Amino acid sequence: MNVTRLAMAVALAVSGVSHAYLYIHGYQHIPTIGTAFVVQAGVSFALALLILIGGPSWLQWAAAALAGGALGAFVLSRTVGLFGFSEQGWQPSPHAAISVVAELVVVGLWAVYVIGHRRARAPQS
Amino acid sequence: MTDAPDTMNRRQLIRHSAWFGAAVGLAVAGGEVISHVAGTADAARIQGRPTLRFAQVSDSHIGFLGKANPNVAGSFNQAIDRINNLSYTPDFVIHTGDLTHLATPGQFDQVKQMMTGLHTPHVFTVPGEHDSIDDGGQKYRSAFGAGTRGDGWYSFDIAGVHVIALVNTLNLKKLGHLGVDQLEFVAKDVAALPSDTPIIVFSHIPLFAMYPDWGWGTDDAAQALSYLRRFSSVTCLNGHVHQVFCKTEGNVTFHSGTTTAYPLPHPGDGPAPKPVTLPAGKLHDALGIREVSYTRGQSTLALKEKALQ
Repeated sequence: MNVTRLAMAVALAVSGVSHAYLYIHGYQHIPTIGTAFVVQAGVSFALALLILIGGPSWLQWAAAALAGGALGAFVLSRTVGLFGFSEQGWQPSPHAAISVVAELVVVGLWAVYVIGHRRARAPQS
Repeated sequence: MTDAPDTMNRRQLIRHSAWFGAAVGLAVAGGEVISHVAGTADAARIQGRPTLRFAQVSDSHIGFLGKANPNVAGSFNQAIDRINNLSYTPDFVIHTGDLTHLATPGQFDQVKQMMTGLHTPHVFTVPGEHDSIDDGGQKYRSAFGAGTRGDGWYSFDIAGVHVIALVNTLNLKKLGHLGVDQLEFVAKDVAALPSDTPIIVFSHIPLFAMYPDWGWGTDDAAQALSYLRRFSSVTCLNGHVHQVFCKTEGNVTFHSGTTTAYPLPHPGDGPAPKPVTLPAGKLHDALGIREVSYTRGQSTLALKEKALQ
């Protein structure tokens, strides 16, 4: 099995578990944010599974978009607020840090995949 | 004509559609499972009653005359009806300040009279800056200050929860201010409590820096919150900003509530927080009440916002 796929699936699942845990433990009661958390978790699990079993490459683009969106939402929630919700630093600990690391891994692996793919397709001189 | 290498044929289209369908289906199924687990966890916690349930109203501004809401008394009455029509009797109702617009005796009489219509065993209040315009809150305390300490602060215990009501609208410069006496009160008030006691704090002005440029914060709140750091669950509910906002800092969650009178702009949206006149028919979507419930064993309170519409 392709190691990049496996690592991306694991990182997605970690991000999904983190969001699902926070949703179950209180975030479900925060308007809009709660819904966003359960959607993030559900889509993360779905993409993780499909990438793991060898789905098409656009799944990895979707995973990168999801992780990038989650990272963007994290930044907004620590700066100007997001749907009337804001938090500070790495709270809630350790879930915020775990999610951010997992999402950075997903985006990083996607970049590795894209670069590798382009190199492979480049005409040989 | 030959197909370009990147062109998708029919078979590939069907295959990709199947993958897409699988992704959507799995995502929906995953979301359902998580929601179900959350619901089951909630139900399990609810079985562990006693539960505290109360309602929050804020910023009724009785006496306000302006285009943003020409009938603040009418909308406050609607808020009262909304609370009275909940499927249960709340253990208490808290009004988080700016009961009146100009702190006249007539306005205090009117709002007090209106609140006697609430179907609840207890009504608690904290003053807003509009309730203490010209007398340091004396008229407010005459109307609502029975049983309070200092300039109107107090605390009580209910269903295993410790509730603290603070006054941060006196001695205002730009931000809200608690003062030395009140900080001392907080320190002593919680000193003997076990750290697993859930704490709820009411104030009018936010105890977090929501938007200090507009005075939406309290200059010495950090000191008060430092006494609460050791508690596992601290929830601060405030009014003043006329909009729902939520923020967490460590063990403390802050929830700004909406108003029953008129909306204010979002932080930084314009030069100053002036009443916003909404298009016809939209006002009651922006006004509302809040239901709050606490179940023993739960680390957070459950909040539900209800519009007046």
